[in-house]
Amino acid sequence: MLEIARYDGRKRLTGALAMTVGIAALTAMYVGLFPSITSAANLDEIIAAYPPAFREAFDIRTMNTIEGFLATQLYAFAWVILLGLYFAYAAAGLVAADVERGRMDMTLSLPVSRGRVVLEKFASLSVPLFVANAAMPVVVFVSTLAIGEEVAMERVLMAHVLSVPYLLACAGIGLLASVVVDRASVAQRAAAGAVFALFLVESVVAGTDLEPLGALSPTRYYVPSEILVDGTYDLGGAAALLAGTAVLVLLSREWFRRRDV
Amino acid sequence: MAAIEVNGLTKDYGEVLANDDVTFDVAEGEVFGYLGPNGAGKTTTIRTLMGFQSPTAGSGTLLGADVRTEEELLAAKRRIGYLPATPSFDETATGQRVLDLHASIKGDERRDELLELFDPPLSRPIREYSTGNAQKLGLVQAFMHDPDLVVMDEPTSGLDPLMQRRFEEFVRAERSAGTTVFLSSHVLSEVRRLCDRVGVIRDGRIVTVESVADLLGRSGKSVLARVDDRVAADDVTLSGVHDLSVRDATVPDDSAAPGSVTELTFTYTGDVNELVDFLDRFDLLELDVEEAPLEDVFMRFYGDD
Repeated sequence: MLEIARYDGRKRLTGALAMTVGIAALTAMYVGLFPSITSAANLDEIIAAYPPAFREAFDIRTMNTIEGFLATQLYAFAWVILLGLYFAYAAAGLVAADVERGRMDMTLSLPVSRGRVVLEKFASLSVPLFVANAAMPVVVFVSTLAIGEEVAMERVLMAHVLSVPYLLACAGIGLLASVVVDRASVAQRAAAGAVFALFLVESVVAGTDLEPLGALSPTRYYVPSEILVDGTYDLGGAAALLAGTAVLVLLSREWFRRRDV
Repeated sequence: MAAIEVNGLTKDYGEVLANDDVTFDVAEGEVFGYLGPNGAGKTTTIRTLMGFQSPTAGSGTLLGADVRTEEELLAAKRRIGYLPATPSFDETATGQRVLDLHASIKGDERRDELLELFDPPLSRPIREYSTGNAQKLGLVQAFMHDPDLVVMDEPTSGLDPLMQRRFEEFVRAERSAGTTVFLSSHVLSEVRRLCDRVGVIRDGRIVTVESVADLLGRSGKSVLARVDDRVAADDVTLSGVHDLSVRDATVPDDSAAPGSVTELTFTYTGDVNELVDFLDRFDLLELDVEEAPLEDVFMRFYGDD
């Protein structure tokens, strides 16, 4: 068991490390800028001038504390959007790319069930998931220490722990696109587009009659500023994301078992 | 029990009826050639049998396993080797990595022996492989777990002549060892050298399933007769003559008068005695009767419309 997951996971290691280094550099830069920005201006006054919809979209609470600054600058953007899109995009290539290039015939000629292929390919995403979430708390801790700020590390850790269900749900959307669409590029655009559209919908409907519609978006259940600024952990939201992921993965598996490749 | 049974297999892609009521059996230990021009539906049959797509109608079994049932086919696949028409591997990996992955799932007791016969550059990434090297890697993975049945789609495409001969010798040895081999081809000479029986498919329908010997027998003889006389096409009244060509074959230094030697060539599918009786009326300068090339047999199946 897990031969395919191990094989695909190992292939993802380089990409995962590169991505993590990129986000780490971004983080170090943000944190490095924090002292000079806060000394030059009261960021919360600037925030107050932002359009309410923008504040809502990124759940901006405060930027005068390091937690609020990280929640806004790093997590709401790099984690929720960039990484969410990365996982949707990566998952969308899992099956579709192999089908498109004819590699799936070779895989399915092996004594492995289609269900197992789908599950193991999805499991290979645990490599970037683990690498990014393991490295970033260290980067945050070290860089804040370097500027003499003390960050609430348990909140940072929880922001990462609770991001796992969120990123898995984004990957679930990608996986579904990957089994439904034969061309990897189409599946990837569809998946990344869907995740971004859901983020926008959730932002736009907030405070309107259509607010229940936002419940479809994974971004509803993972709000870094709640974790980092307020210190509240939405475990129910995490459970909802995990349940949604399970539904998406099982649906993908059923679909792939029934279709022609 | 037959190694492969195909029963009324139909695959309708909507715009194309790729397989239409395809029926044939492959016996255990047999080398079976699946012959047809490009686009005839060979790959469709193979991919349906391997379970990559479900048939629109009909059924099939591989080593007794219903190809429509994943659980049954999965158990059988441990004993099946497969070579697709254009083997595609993970381009970023080396051949070694790909074989290791295959080995971890299905075993590789014959890997070393196969690598001596077909030697793809294992340490190089597959994106640098030529078609022939990818084909060699495909052959190694198809046989490395010592399968009882091997299904190959155009196995010699991309192989150089030396490798083709090596492949043919290898398949003969496999046959002696009891392995059942099913291979598709549009190369008739290859099928003739390798196969016990042939199924010919055309436009998605099976035209004939018979032994190579029967196919050749039924296909008749190539006849060349040089006659010391003038003969017109109308004079050849014998039934069973196809593709008759009559030409004046007088050469300048012949002692005979110009225009008095005729060369007849035709394919003959009738009784040999009648052929002899017919030729008896002529003064023959030369007579060649040989087995018709399989290419001509093939043309009879495909050439008439």
